[in-house]
Amino acid sequence: MANKLETISPDHAHRHVLSILVENQYGVLSRIAGMFATRGFNIDSLTVSATEDSTMSRMTIAVHGDSSVISQLQRQLDKFAEVIVIEKFTERQAHISRELMLVKVRHKPTSRTDLLQIASIFKAKSVDMTPSTITFEIVGKENKLSNFLTVLQEESTIIETARSGVVALTRGKSGLRESFLGEVVNQ
Amino acid sequence: MSTATDTSHLIITPAGDQSVGHPLAGHMMSGADMVIQTLVDSGVDTIFGYSGGAILPAFDAIYRYNQTHQETPLRLVVPANEQGAGFMAAGYARATGRPGVFMVTSGPGATNAVTPIRDCMADSVPCVLICGQVPRAAMGTDAFQEAPVYNIMSSCAKHTFLVLDPQELEATIRTAFRIATTGRPGPVVIDIPKDVQNWTGTFRGEGILHLRGYEKRWGRLRASRVSEDKQRSFFDILNRSQRPLLYVGGGVVHSEASDALRRFSHTFGIPGVTTLMGIGAFDTKDPHCMHMLGMHGTAYANYSVEDCDYLIAVGARFDDRVAGKVSAFAPNAREVAHIDLDAAEIGKVKAVTWSHVGDAGRCLEDLTKYGLKTGFAKNFDHWQAHCADLRATHKLDWDRESDRIQPHHVITELNRITRGEAIVTTGVGQHQMWSAQYFDFTEPRTWLTSGSMGTMGFGVPAGMGAAIAHPDKTVVVVDGDGSIRMNLGELETLVTYGANNVKVLLLNNYGDGMVRQWQRLMFGQRFSGSDKTQHSCKFVNAAKAYGFTFSEQLAHKECLVDTLQRFIDHDSPAFLEVLIDPDALVMPMVGPGKGYSEMVVGDWIQPRNSTVSNELDGKTKADLF
Repeated sequence: MANKLETISPDHAHRHVLSILVENQYGVLSRIAGMFATRGFNIDSLTVSATEDSTMSRMTIAVHGDSSVISQLQRQLDKFAEVIVIEKFTERQAHISRELMLVKVRHKPTSRTDLLQIASIFKAKSVDMTPSTITFEIVGKENKLSNFLTVLQEESTIIETARSGVVALTRGKSGLRESFLGEVVNQ
Repeated sequence: MSTATDTSHLIITPAGDQSVGHPLAGHMMSGADMVIQTLVDSGVDTIFGYSGGAILPAFDAIYRYNQTHQETPLRLVVPANEQGAGFMAAGYARATGRPGVFMVTSGPGATNAVTPIRDCMADSVPCVLICGQVPRAAMGTDAFQEAPVYNIMSSCAKHTFLVLDPQELEATIRTAFRIATTGRPGPVVIDIPKDVQNWTGTFRGEGILHLRGYEKRWGRLRASRVSEDKQRSFFDILNRSQRPLLYVGGGVVHSEASDALRRFSHTFGIPGVTTLMGIGAFDTKDPHCMHMLGMHGTAYANYSVEDCDYLIAVGARFDDRVAGKVSAFAPNAREVAHIDLDAAEIGKVKAVTWSHVGDAGRCLEDLTKYGLKTGFAKNFDHWQAHCADLRATHKLDWDRESDRIQPHHVITELNRITRGEAIVTTGVGQHQMWSAQYFDFTEPRTWLTSGSMGTMGFGVPAGMGAAIAHPDKTVVVVDGDGSIRMNLGELETLVTYGANNVKVLLLNNYGDGMVRQWQRLMFGQRFSGSDKTQHSCKFVNAAKAYGFTFSEQLAHKECLVDTLQRFIDHDSPAFLEVLIDPDALVMPMVGPGKGYSEMVVGDWIQPRNSTVSNELDGKTKADLF
């Protein structure tokens, strides 16, 4: 996944997104987050939510490191009893990744139209407005969000942002849960 | 994460696994009774436990269980401190391979158990800890004796459960044993609020929690065999090598692969070194056994690592006490093979050329079969002779002429009496290293020591656990004066429970000897905090106070052999304090962050290269540990 981070990161570490299905047991988020801290992995974002199957949750972790770091991370994750299956999204593998961002900007009265035009080019929505501020909602890949911020900065002052962290799925017909459970049935 | 209140997390054991249901299935029981019944069903015969408010229902259930099962009661061993209970469970587990079980109350009971849990994790020892917790309604209110056990233990244990849904209680206990004993073994903690113990419900007698990914990965690992191609490439490498060396770790002990290892070694004539945790995997009297490698390994073991051209790591993990300087470790090994059950260990420290993730015993058996089938008959006589020469020339030795009692001498004489057949437990420090170096071990699971964590105070309670597991064997606890202080109160436990086969040998050098050794070598002999000549404990009196009927102090070399014999022959727990030379050092020593070529051997061991300085140089950095 090509993005800004790749070029500014001092060790030229690559960005990876891991999607993990976990048993929906008490404390799984804190345990896994704790391992990242203990072993010194750098998380860029971590999201967790319920899935279509109430016994499973899905965690999506964006992390950077070289390939040996990522493979060590995967092996450490594999050791958790709650981890059901891990999928690593790479540049080669077709997948969809998205992030949602809310951004609140302060602007001069004269630049409101410009900002709304920029937003429309980025397919961002204005979801809240005051005489001097606008709050935008934008969904997209990370670099789109970053580019949006860069352009907004030219026309306004950014008051604050909130980002959801990356979520991702593979393209095509297969799904992680189905393919895992399918393999279980086939055994 | 939310916790399901239904029972969708339960998997019922598939029909066929058990031909008949549990005789108590369908009975109404309290949660506490379910805990005890499920422990018994899991094969538990002993609980090491200390009571308290939040675990009272479970202790009461033990009492009532034993009233109704007078023929086959659950043994309850009460320590002086919860940490002791943990090390007793660990000693039991290390000596048997079966999970040790300990039970403590909430708050301080649980936090006192953190050290043994982490110790078990670091050395891959299976154990199950049952913690009482404040009632669910009080959790999070800073209640009396409340501690965030889930959070604390999560960072230390292989797995941690907090039972919030009583319906999941019995399944959780079964699952805990499953996790503790499968894959790379480890400690599992179950935190059970008091009201969950007091809850009454229907006992099922079966079912475990969903562990879909874990079970699948474990199934794959268990079935993993070395492919034909990989067997061939293993022997291709072996055929190209002149000086192959096995590097054997604790994984071989954990996976009961000792026989397979010995067969492999003898079939192809490959010598081996063991890590501190791997001691006993090889018979130390075996001519192929080059004994312990590493920071305080034997000189001949470390020289053989320097010389080998094919290093075959089995259940070992290249940790910093073995490969302090990874780039200089086994510098002539053109090829490195690594066999381990834990995929995360392969390539974690050292890049390898051949690897297999799976059970060590099965892998070695597969390789042995393949080698025999294909008639592999490369002759390593020259290398074996070289190793034998290293063993003879650079053997361990000490100042035999000294008037002061040398610890090496004490252990050598004790070893003569116990013939490598005793179970030996230790604390941590110099006495631990001397024990590792000078005792013989003919069988695995007879050397019980806190390796990775290095927990002082491990020896006495671990000895208690081992004595329970093997009442027919002699258990020697070798301790230092620093280590024994840490859990001195457990001396009483030995007497209380009649651990008559336990003999506690205290090597007293009036200080923290290993710390002093580092201060001598790296801190300009400034013995900050490590000198205990002014400490007041009369250990012999303490042991007497705890009820030892044999408690003696040995101060004269000439009495050594006779005293040791009486000490071992005593028919109840025995305590012997030996006043050893406080200046005795553990040698050889590979300084922290150094390669084996910089090994210091001291005054009494023959070095190979006399140009290497016999002192650690001043550049040894104190931040390397």
